[in-house]
Amino acid sequence: MTAPVLLEVRGLTRRYRLPRRSLLRPGPVLTAVDNASFTIRAGETLGIVGESGSGKSTLARMVMAFEKPDAGQVLFQGQDPHALSHSALRQLRQGFQMVFQDPYGSLDPRRRVGWSIAEPLRAMGEAGTQARTAQALTQVGLSGQDAEKYPHEFSGGQRQRIAIARAIVTRPALLVADEAVSALDVSVQAQILNLLMDLQEDLGLGILFISHDLAVVAQVCDHLMVMQHGKTLESGAVTEILRGPSHDYTRSLLTAAGVTP
Amino acid sequence: MIALEDFCVSFGQAVALRNATLSLARGARLGVVGESGSGKTMLGLSLMGMVPDAARRSGTMTVDGVEMGSASEADWQKMRARRVAMVFQEPMAALNPLRRVGDTVMEPMRLHDGLSRARAQARAVSLFEEVGIPDPAARLRQFPHELSGGQRQRVLIALALACNPALLIADEPTTALDANVALRITDLLVRLSREREMALVFISHDLGAVSRATDTLVVMYGGDMVEQGPTAQVLAAPLHPYTKGLLAARPDPARSGRDASGKRRRLPTIPGTVPPLHALPAGCRFSGRCSVEITACALQRPALRWADATQAAACHLLTGGDA
Repeated sequence: MTAPVLLEVRGLTRRYRLPRRSLLRPGPVLTAVDNASFTIRAGETLGIVGESGSGKSTLARMVMAFEKPDAGQVLFQGQDPHALSHSALRQLRQGFQMVFQDPYGSLDPRRRVGWSIAEPLRAMGEAGTQARTAQALTQVGLSGQDAEKYPHEFSGGQRQRIAIARAIVTRPALLVADEAVSALDVSVQAQILNLLMDLQEDLGLGILFISHDLAVVAQVCDHLMVMQHGKTLESGAVTEILRGPSHDYTRSLLTAAGVTP
Repeated sequence: MIALEDFCVSFGQAVALRNATLSLARGARLGVVGESGSGKTMLGLSLMGMVPDAARRSGTMTVDGVEMGSASEADWQKMRARRVAMVFQEPMAALNPLRRVGDTVMEPMRLHDGLSRARAQARAVSLFEEVGIPDPAARLRQFPHELSGGQRQRVLIALALACNPALLIADEPTTALDANVALRITDLLVRLSREREMALVFISHDLGAVSRATDTLVVMYGGDMVEQGPTAQVLAAPLHPYTKGLLAARPDPARSGRDASGKRRRLPTIPGTVPPLHALPAGCRFSGRCSVEITACALQRPALRWADATQAAACHLLTGGDA
């Protein structure tokens, strides 16, 4: 009774050429993501932890098809978004959406939030945007009338709910949350984490949850992948890694999160 | 060395800080926790004499026995140079990107202490060593963008120490940093406070960092100090419903995972959100969100009650009866 595989990532690699330091030689190459592989099933959450510069956001951008990998493959419900035409990719995109860290930066301050939430629907030329926007707002614990308000009328936590409403308005199967609760206060963070768990159970969402905070990841994830300098240090069930981390780096993250293995 | 009594800061009808009372001795380490809008940054700014001009202040503040509550900006400038210094959250924003970090750190020494360039440089090198920046002489010549986030925060701490302050106020000093780096910066602040007998006010929403860094703790909500006491004691046995709610809302790997029916365990939450300053309830600031509220809460402001010699909270339920 295992759920179907939603996302499969195989050997994903991304290199950047750094600015040259000499006129005579090309710049050095930085491998931001080195041979990353994982799968996410429907209703399941994979957590990726690592410090800034570990490559976790680059990995998310490649999964979202914002950025092309140098090697490896992303398969979302069996289709490689990087191999699709522009219009086919746009159709596929309904199925995977992203929630960003900064609820202030990701909403247009001059537009009513209903407009921002309906943006992915308009991009796909869908009808009935108003009803679906109202529905998405209710799903995240706000009311349909909130669509008429502007971002500044909401608190930070409510804005993050709005960002989540925008992500689920296309009824995706996969949600990519990149540091989605990092900018929030403890009590608001708890509310948003609970909301993500509620939505996952109600909609059967697969979630790729990226965070630098191991305690947060342990709260919402089944599986965990630890990254450092683009490399996957270890991956496995959260409970296993908490009990017996195999890397010093993971141990230091556990200490920082106040967990003693 | 610094004491506040009934210190208030308000903007028109909106009270940002209500009857703040605290005192700090040399070398003491005080933690201030609370969420956005709790008034913790306003408390930090008050201790720095940096309350915005538009605000109305009342109550008293004494620094080394001198009344500073209504002191002029000129008086504060002298005080800030010698006695109090501050470290901010965002190290990139607090450093001038066009200046070498060495020049930035040397500036207050040359301005306030009138040191020559060579003497200032020597002192900057020793400060960089003290805050754990490797190869200090070379680092002095670098620009902020050439340093990592943790290194930048160390530079800012060195800058704050440049004039040997007796009190260092750190406002969310670790929030923008990676967990590992945050831990090292926290430990650095503790070490500096011990070695220099410097008082430390550590403002943070991170309860873990605060418990590591401080020995006394103030919990703030809606501009009120709702609970205070020894850090370990407050965190282990909180009295105020807000402190309890805050502690329970933290993710805890020991309590996470799935329950018997396969459902993921939810986090206990505090319902609602912090109301904006102008819409705070008149009585207990936490009323309307509190799970154990009684009728008196919304109407009457609870006084700070001492549960024992060290720990106090402002809650009507604390003494059970005389509320």
